[in-house]
Amino acid sequence: MKKEHTAGLIFLLVGIYGLIYSSQLPLGKWNEPGPGVFPMILAILLVLSGALTMVARIKEEKVKEKASWREFLRPLITPSQIFLLTIAFILSLERIGYLASSLLYLLILFIWVCRYRLPLAMGMAAGFGLGSWYLFVKILGVQLPLTVTALGL
Amino acid sequence: MDFFANLFAGFQTALSLHNVYLCFIGCLFGTMVGVLPGIGPLAGISLLIPATYGIDATGAIIMLAGIYYGAMYGGSTTSILMNIPGESASVMTCVDGYQMTLKGRGGAALFISAWGSFIGGNLSVLGLMILAPLLAAFATRFGPPEIFAVLVLAFLLLGSLGTGSFFKTMPMILLGMFLGTIGMDPLTGTLRFTHEIRDLYDGIGFVPVAMGAFGIGEILSSTERSLVRLIHKVKFRQLLPTRQELRASVGPILRGSGLGFVIGLLPGSAHVLSSFVSYAVEKKMAKNPEEFGTGRIEGVAGPETANNSATGGAMIPFLGIGIPTGPATAVMMVALMIHGIRPGPLFISEQPQIFWGLIASMYIGNFILLILNLPLVGIFLNLLRVPFRILFPLILLICLVGTYSVSSSTFDLIVLLGSGVLGYIFRKLNYDLAPFILALIIGPLMEYSFRQSLMRSAGSFSIFWSNPITLTLFGGSCLLFIWNLISSLRPTKSTWKKALEEG
Repeated sequence: MKKEHTAGLIFLLVGIYGLIYSSQLPLGKWNEPGPGVFPMILAILLVLSGALTMVARIKEEKVKEKASWREFLRPLITPSQIFLLTIAFILSLERIGYLASSLLYLLILFIWVCRYRLPLAMGMAAGFGLGSWYLFVKILGVQLPLTVTALGL
Repeated sequence: MDFFANLFAGFQTALSLHNVYLCFIGCLFGTMVGVLPGIGPLAGISLLIPATYGIDATGAIIMLAGIYYGAMYGGSTTSILMNIPGESASVMTCVDGYQMTLKGRGGAALFISAWGSFIGGNLSVLGLMILAPLLAAFATRFGPPEIFAVLVLAFLLLGSLGTGSFFKTMPMILLGMFLGTIGMDPLTGTLRFTHEIRDLYDGIGFVPVAMGAFGIGEILSSTERSLVRLIHKVKFRQLLPTRQELRASVGPILRGSGLGFVIGLLPGSAHVLSSFVSYAVEKKMAKNPEEFGTGRIEGVAGPETANNSATGGAMIPFLGIGIPTGPATAVMMVALMIHGIRPGPLFISEQPQIFWGLIASMYIGNFILLILNLPLVGIFLNLLRVPFRILFPLILLICLVGTYSVSSSTFDLIVLLGSGVLGYIFRKLNYDLAPFILALIIGPLMEYSFRQSLMRSAGSFSIFWSNPITLTLFGGSCLLFIWNLISSLRPTKSTWKKALEEG
């Protein structure tokens, strides 16, 4: 699928979603436009631009027609690893507290994604994790979850 | 007299030890952000928003503005010494700046670049302090239809002048505006697109979206490739330009100041555009244009001055009428709103200490940046020695903590990550994200003014062309749209060539 097609499809799908849900909102009259009017106008324009983008191919792009799946997926490995680890960090933040979750997050990032050896990764994770905790909590006064709620502490 | 009294009061505010310190921190962080490829001023400002919670609004805007114009200074360093633009506005500086480095004149290029940035930055602040109050006074005549007309024109200009084509930018604007409608309708209290998710009742936060799309998105896309960096060292005594180089750079610096300031007023990627236009103008005016690209000082002086001068211009619509024309100024507006202050036509008269304090701090900041970017250039270059695989986990953590600290909600972290993925996808698809962010931030104002205008006119659309201001603005918008339509339908040179070859 060409880049323009993918982008067009995204605009089209968002537009269709907008059309479906904005039609369920009160539209009102022109002298008192309801909350659905503006989103509906935007959704219509999004559908139109999505369709136009898909059809018109504003700019021809040279894409390898028969690129293998392996070639396509290889660059996605590291971003996917980061994505998964970040999801895990978000889910654990309020359960095990900032200090524990940030230490684990950094440690696994340094080992799994950045390919550092365990002792170095542990040192850097501890340094950056504790440093960031000190900077944000102690110096900047940012409120971060610090208790280990999962353990009932 | 008022003008000088206000400026004097501004200097009294800006010269307090606390504010000088914040200005220094902003400039230092801005230079670092500019030096490091991949982190632009927008991500830099977003990252430091949480740090402003404990300080007053004046200090906050002084620090954030320091990052904004500081990044423009820092961006030139890597462009000149490594052929890597630290941020998008420094792309043109690479062309002749790096060639000068290869010829052993990198130090002179850095000096002229910093000097030009200093001159351009100060002249644009002068323009800002004269024009912003005038614009604000004029904008007090603006009601909802005028604001709506200004925004329509602004978005069409954004589409025309942005880095992508008009028909690539407009869907991004629509997407941003659509996301801006999520949450409680400000006029009726109706919930829109919230699907009973409580965290969506107040709408989607600007900070997680901006940080995600630019910060996380950039990291995800940078981890796909590895950069081999060759750093050229510059000694202090090599910084001095020759008399000939100094003479040759006077004209480009003055022209760049004017061009950058005017282009800075326009919506979109003003910094990028101003440096491109300045380079083109200098090339056109040169006696030997073919020498451009081989290490001409004019090719460094003009674009670098112009992109710094554009910062002052870009602050005028934001401070004068409360309409930011770029994502960086939009995020600064969000930071002010967090402190309970909304820029608009009455901002300068109601909050003179913030406005004039900011103006004075920009003069001080330009001076600080001159010192930071000349003798201390080597220190910043050492930042580039930090491997990216150490740097990116840190940036990720700062983005996550910065977002969490705004609302203490893990939902915002999910928005951050989602926006990061969105940013990554659109980067891969070659779509510009700046219009998307800008539309998300000022889209709600557009909807509000549109609906209020119609309520005021009892449903008659004639309100949009019944007075000279709206008529002029909508006339301009129509012409701009038609021009874009025609230019996109007109066959390009390559299409003609292809057709001729085929037939």
